[in-house]
This record gives sequence, structure tokens and C-alpha cells, in this order.
Amino acid sequence: MSKQMNTTEQVRRSLKKRHRQEQRFILMGKLAVLSGFLFLAFLLADITIKAWPAFQQTWIQLDVAFDPQTLGVEAAADEAALKKGNYRGVLKKSLSAIFPDVSARRDKKALLKLISSGAEYQIRDTLLAAPEMLGTTQQMWVLADDDVDSFIKEPKLRELPQDDRRIKDNQVAWLAQLSEQGRIESQWNWAFLTSGDSREPEQAGIAGALRGTMLTILVVLAMSFPLGLAAAVYLEEFAPQNRWTDLIEINVNNLAAVPSIVFGLLGLAVFISFFGVPRSAPLVGGMVLTLMTLPTIIIASRASLKSVPPSIRDAALALGASKVQTVFQHVVPLAMPGILTGTIIGMAQALGETAPLLMIGMVAFIVDIPQGITDSATVLPVQIYLWADSPERAFMAKTSAAIIVLLLFLVTMNLLAVVLRKRFERKW
Amino acid sequence: MNQVAEAPDIHQVIKETVGSPFTDKPKISTRNVDVFYDDKQAIFDVSLDIGNHEVIALIGPSGCGKSTYLRCLNRMNDTIQSCRVTGEFRLDEEDIYARGMDPVLLRARIGMVFQKPNPFPKSIYDNVAYGPKLHGLAGNRAELDEIVVSSLQKAGLYEEVKDRLNASGTGLSGGQQQRLCIARTIAVSPEVILMDEPASALDPIATATIEELIDELRQNYTIVIVTHSMQQAARVSQRTAYFHLGKLVEVGDTNQIFTNPQHQLTENYITGRFG
Amino acid sequence: MDTDLNLTPHISNRFNEELEEVRNLALNMGGLVEKQVSDGLKALLKAKSKLGEKVASSDYKVNAMEVDIDEQCTLILARRQPAASDLRLVISIIKTITDLERIGDEAEQLGIYAIKLADDNIKPSQFVELRHLGEHVKGMLHDALDAFARMDVDAALETIESSTILKEEYDAISRQLILQMMEDPRQIKNALRVHWCARSLERIGDHSENICEYVVYLVKGRDVRHVSLDEMKAELEI
Repeated sequence: MSKQMNTTEQVRRSLKKRHRQEQRFILMGKLAVLSGFLFLAFLLADITIKAWPAFQQTWIQLDVAFDPQTLGVEAAADEAALKKGNYRGVLKKSLSAIFPDVSARRDKKALLKLISSGAEYQIRDTLLAAPEMLGTTQQMWVLADDDVDSFIKEPKLRELPQDDRRIKDNQVAWLAQLSEQGRIESQWNWAFLTSGDSREPEQAGIAGALRGTMLTILVVLAMSFPLGLAAAVYLEEFAPQNRWTDLIEINVNNLAAVPSIVFGLLGLAVFISFFGVPRSAPLVGGMVLTLMTLPTIIIASRASLKSVPPSIRDAALALGASKVQTVFQHVVPLAMPGILTGTIIGMAQALGETAPLLMIGMVAFIVDIPQGITDSATVLPVQIYLWADSPERAFMAKTSAAIIVLLLFLVTMNLLAVVLRKRFERKW
Repeated sequence: MNQVAEAPDIHQVIKETVGSPFTDKPKISTRNVDVFYDDKQAIFDVSLDIGNHEVIALIGPSGCGKSTYLRCLNRMNDTIQSCRVTGEFRLDEEDIYARGMDPVLLRARIGMVFQKPNPFPKSIYDNVAYGPKLHGLAGNRAELDEIVVSSLQKAGLYEEVKDRLNASGTGLSGGQQQRLCIARTIAVSPEVILMDEPASALDPIATATIEELIDELRQNYTIVIVTHSMQQAARVSQRTAYFHLGKLVEVGDTNQIFTNPQHQLTENYITGRFG
Repeated sequence: MDTDLNLTPHISNRFNEELEEVRNLALNMGGLVEKQVSDGLKALLKAKSKLGEKVASSDYKVNAMEVDIDEQCTLILARRQPAASDLRLVISIIKTITDLERIGDEAEQLGIYAIKLADDNIKPSQFVELRHLGEHVKGMLHDALDAFARMDVDAALETIESSTILKEEYDAISRQLILQMMEDPRQIKNALRVHWCARSLERIGDHSENICEYVVYLVKGRDVRHVSLDEMKAELEI
């Protein structure tokens, strides 16, 4: 009995220490979660704040006189002739109409710089769409130059000495005048989502990269899912267990750890140089990313197949199902949630990959939105990389905005994974 | 009794099977069966006949090879790569391990019920209909319905589930799941049903239901049942075979085995003595 | 234990103890019954009515033991579900104690008749032929219990074999008593009493034979009731 008491006493003494340990651990865990969460929140907030300007665009209102004389065309010009018109002259005249005092050649040039270089194409396209405007004067909103855009969005730029500014004092005065006349307006920048890349930040959009990413992901999905599934099913269910399959398994695992740029080199050497697949295209990008994603998909699929209870296999086999029927009617459907999750995670990984794509030329500057998997294209991460590298101040915001689009894309894919998982999940 | 000092060579103790392993016109006959896992021999020279429309119980301590032997009968051991089976297996005079014998066909003739109820995660109807669909036993939906209903009836489950044939098979109780598995097996109309400890995961009432069912099934099927419960073997079987360390020690009429076994090892096992 | 029946210990120690306990109880009961028979016979042959009363009043002990052992056997059956030799042991014990109880009843009868005969001042010399039969029956009962204790099939078979002598002795006594009754009708009452005693002794011999048959069943697993001795031996391959 006394020994019994002794034990209780001893346990009680150590109890305090053990409880303290537990509490310490819980606290540490909470801190870890909290700090992770804070980092994420900080990142998201930072990017969102930085990206916000990219979704707003400054426009300037001009009274555009489509004067045939200024354009240098005849009154009844056809489309081809209209295309060749001197729209820059028209813009100049419009500006002169607002600022009649500005006469020096240098000042006139500075004045024209307030407007985006894309403005002349904008008014040309307007006229081409409605040729009857020829000879009339229209009030039109044209894109402001990116320097103007940045200057208006970022008040602190005004405090810099003139030499450090891209917008000089006379331009500041003109802008003030325009602003007074209500000729400056900030609008929601739809063009960012609908147009392709451009050297001019105010015209640059994400659509090309987004489309390129989608096409590439489709190629990856179309190639890696069947290949990965077939390989996983064969290795897990059919292949004999011997030295060769062990070797293959080790290699598959190793492949998952190979630096992604190596896959890019491989793609360059094999797909482009040897097979002659067009470079810079989503097809070759998808193929390279497929190589990279396959090991992930195979490993995840095998794990998922392995977790299907053997009793289900036994049940089907004992009923007289053949091996293939057992695998495809019972095992694979039950493993599907895991396989899909693995696939989507693999693809999300591929989605964020830049390095291998640099090697196969997807880093090229491409203005046109790709229409098919063989068109030249770029993808979101590469676009982010390109913009981050550009000197224009406005590209900073664009970079952040592109990151947000990329993140949204990833979130969508992960949500898809969750939904698919829930839909396919069955209890056994 | 000193267990350590006294370790007689088992192969000396069991020279040959005691009792009556052979029957007239057996449904399945096996001769000189050896089974190896890689280099390890799991079954030694077992010869046993399984009579038509009888329930034969295979009993013995864990690892005695009774389940291995059972799985040889419908070639479920084929799926285990390291497993090698030699000896003669005949189902109605047909060689089970012949080159021309398709395991798929064999398993349609020799069904199997497992230890853990393992219904497919599908509806009750689909569970039962799977086998007939697989083998094309039903020409149309009406025929399939009939097979499903009659199989469930034979398995004594129909009354309990007739209103929810589309509910999931995994939602049933353990005993019902096992009867669903039996219904699934008999839906293919096998000649022989192998049962690997079919009631070991069930409560006594569900066990009693299964045992009652086994007794009814004997009318139409030959049943080989592996069980750890000696009372169960005594209750459901007509013949009992006792395996020990991969050898078939004794086969005989169940009544005789449980009242007056001939071999000392059998006696020790069924009375719960040290071997 | 030197028998055909190998009784290595069970995995459950408690089961071992229970079986051993019930077996010892049965042997104790056998001893008690044997004492009753021998006392009854002694009371009869020595005309001791006191001893006769003691025998007649002690039967309750035997009955109580039977009930006790029966209950223990029921518990073993319910809890342990014995099989094979264990099952046969329990069944043999249940059956043996039934026979022992009957033997106890017969011994009680002997005691009662001993009192009656002694009270009527009948000299034991008048039924000296009972002595022979009595000794033989006592021997049979002793041998039967011995065979049961040692699980000795050979001894059991020998005892069964010796029952033929018993039959002869009983027939001889019957004939003699009939003669006596015919010669002197006044003796009919006493002769009938003596005959009842002979009859009891013969029944005890029968029950002893039964016990031997249970021993054979226990050890060999064969039911040898209602078969001739030769068939019995043939079946047991002795």
C-alpha cells in the first residue's frame, strides 16, 4: 500500500513538468501557425496595395478633329487610305487647341508626351470603325502616358526635384490645367485583362500570358494525367516486384527532385532541336512541364492506389473479375480523389515554374494573344519575371497585378482539387 | 511440463494424415499439395477431398496454412508473386492449375467470402449485380433484377434491405455486410463457396445468422470454411480437417473430431491444451 | 497418469483446476458410496441394526454430493464448452455419479433390510449365501472405481467380464430362496427380504458395470453399452 502511495506521489511530481511541456509545445505550435499566417497576410496585403494602381488607368480627354487636311487624305478616302493618315498630326492639333500658348518645338514635344504613344492608333481605329466621322470633331478619351499615370497616382513623386522626375514642371502645369477642365479621369483598366503585352506600360495587358498559361496547362493535363496514371497503375498493380521495378521506382523518385531548369535543357535539346517542335509555343512548354510534373503525379497516384484496401481487390478478383477489370472498375475509381489531388498539385507546381520555360524560348516578348498551342506565347510567371525586369515605373504595379492573377489562378485550381476530391470521395 | 526442452520435430510427429481425407466422388480433390512462399514452405504434402454438398471446416492454430490452402482452391494465391503451388488440384476432374484453366472462369465456379466484410462502396443492388454483369449472366435488366433479388433472398438479406436497394452497401451493419458479400458471391451461381473466417468480425447474433445461412446454403453449394472458432466448426460442418504447421493432421467426421479425435495434436488443439 | 488418455495441462489453468476438482469430487463420492455399501453389507451379515440405521440415514450425503457435482459439471459445460477428452470426462462424471447415487440408494435398502431382519431376530446364518454375493459386488464396485480413478480400460474390461459370475451367484440365491419358500411357507416373509437384498446387490453390480463402461467411453471414445463383451473387445482391438 505504501508503495502504491509512493508511485502516485512520484507520478504527481513529474506531472507538472509534463503538463508544462505540453503547454509549451502548444504555444509554439500556435506561434508557428500565427507567424505563417502573418507572413501570408503581409504578402497578400503588400501585393494587393502595389497592384491596385495597375487596375486603374488615367485617361485624357481631347477634342479630336478628324480633318482630312491634317490627316493628309481626301474627303472620301477609302479604308486603306485612312489607315495611312497622319493621326499624330491630329493629336498635335487637338493638344494645340487646348494649350494655344505652347509654341516652342521642344514644349510641343513635351506636350505630346503626355499622351500614350498608343493614342494615335486608338483614334485611328475609332475613325476606321466609323468613317463618317471624317471631317467632324469628336470628344474622345485617350490613354495618358505611363509617366503621367504614375505621376497622378503617386502624389509623392511631386515632391521630388525636377531633375529626378520624368514629368517636368511645365508638364505639371499643363496637367493641372487639364485637370481643371475636367479632362483627366481615372478609369477601371479593363485593358489590363484583355490586351496582350506591350513595351508601353499603359497598354500592356495580361491576356496573352493568361491564355498562354491556360494553353500550356491544358497541354500538361492532356499529357501528364494519362501518362502518369498509366505509369502509376502499371507500376503499382501489374509490374512484377523485381530489381528493375525497384530501379524504376528509385528513378521516378529522383526525377521529382531534379532541378526544373534541367528539364528545360532537356526540352530544348530533345523537343526543339531534335523533334523540331516550334519554340516558344505552349505545346513545347507543356511538354517540358509534363516531364517535370510526371514524377509528382506518379508518386501521388501510387500512394493513392496503395491506400485502396486490398480487401476490395480480393472481393473483385474472387467474383471472377480479371486483373484489368479489378483495377479499372474498383481500384482506380477509389484512388481517384488522391490521384486528382496529386495531379492538380503537380500542375499547380508546373504553373508556377519559370526556369525551364526560359530555356525553350517562352521568355520572348510576344504582343499577340496566342490562338493555339503552336503559337508563340508566354506564361504568367514568365510575364511577371519580364515585367519585374522592366525599368518603367508603371510596370511595378503591373508585376504585382500579374502576381495576383497568378495567385487567383492557383487558388481556383486548388479549389477545383477540393471539389473533385469531395465529389469522388467514397467511404469503404 | 517444460515447453522449451521438449520440442519434438513436427515432421516426425505428423507422418501422415489421420482419419479419412478421401471421399467418393469428391467435388474438389487435392493431392500432395505443397505451397512455398519464396523458399519457405507453408504447406507440406496435403491431400484432401472435398465432397459434394458438404460443409468442410478447416481448423488449426494461426499460421497453420489453412487459409493458404483455401486460397489455393480458387487460385487467389496467383496474385501473390512469391507464392508457388505444386500438387494436384481437381474440380470435378478438371485440373484447377491447368494451363487452359482461366482463373476468371475458375473463380466464377468457386466463389469466396472473406474474413472482413468487404462490400464495394456502391449500392446494395450494384454489389450483387456486379458478378452477373461481369460474366454476362443476365440478358436484360429484368433478369438482372431477378438474380439480385433471389441472391439477396438466399442470403437472407432481402427482407431487411428490399426498401433500400440503392443505398450504399457499406452503410449496412457488419453482419448484413457479410450477408451482402455472400449474396454477391452466390449471384454468380458458383458450385463451391470458400469462406475465410466469415464470422470472425461479427457479434454472436450476426454469427448465428451466418451459421444458419451456411447450413441452408449446403443444399445447393459445397462449402469450405476456415474458422478459428471450434464451436463454429462443430456447429456448421459435416467434416473437419485439422491443420498444424502446414500439415494436414487429421480429417474426419465433425462429430467424431469433436468427441473423439484420433491424433494427439488434434485433441490438444480442440481441448485447449499445450501442444 | 498412466493411461491412454494424455492429459497435458490446458492453456487455462483455471480449467485444469475445475476439471481436477470435479473429478476428485466424483472419486470422493465413489469412496463414500463404497463405504455405504460395505457398511450396509456388514450390518446385514452381522445383524447390526445400529449400523443399518447409520447406513440408511447417511444416504442424504450421497445425494447432496450428486447435486453438487452435477452443478459443477453444468458450469463447466456452460463456461468452457469442453470438447473431445474433456467433454467425455465431464459426460462420464455426470453419468457415473448417477450410477453412484443409485448404488447409494441400494446401500440404503440394504441398511433398512438389515434393521428389519435384525429386529425379527433372524440369524445371519440363515442367509449366509448373501455373503458370497456381497463380497463379489463389493469387489466389483471397488474395481470399477479404481478403473475410473486410473482411467484404466483393461481393469474396466476385467470388471465387466466378472459380472457374469455375479449373474450366476444371483440366480443360485434365487433358486435357493424359492426352494426354502416351498419347503417352509412360514419363511416366505424373510426369504423375500433376503431376496430383496440379493436383488439390491445385483443392482449394485450392474451399476458398477455401467461405471466401467463409462471408463471405456472416457478413454477410448467408444460407447460400449449394450454390446457383448466379445464385440466390445473386437471394437477396442484388444
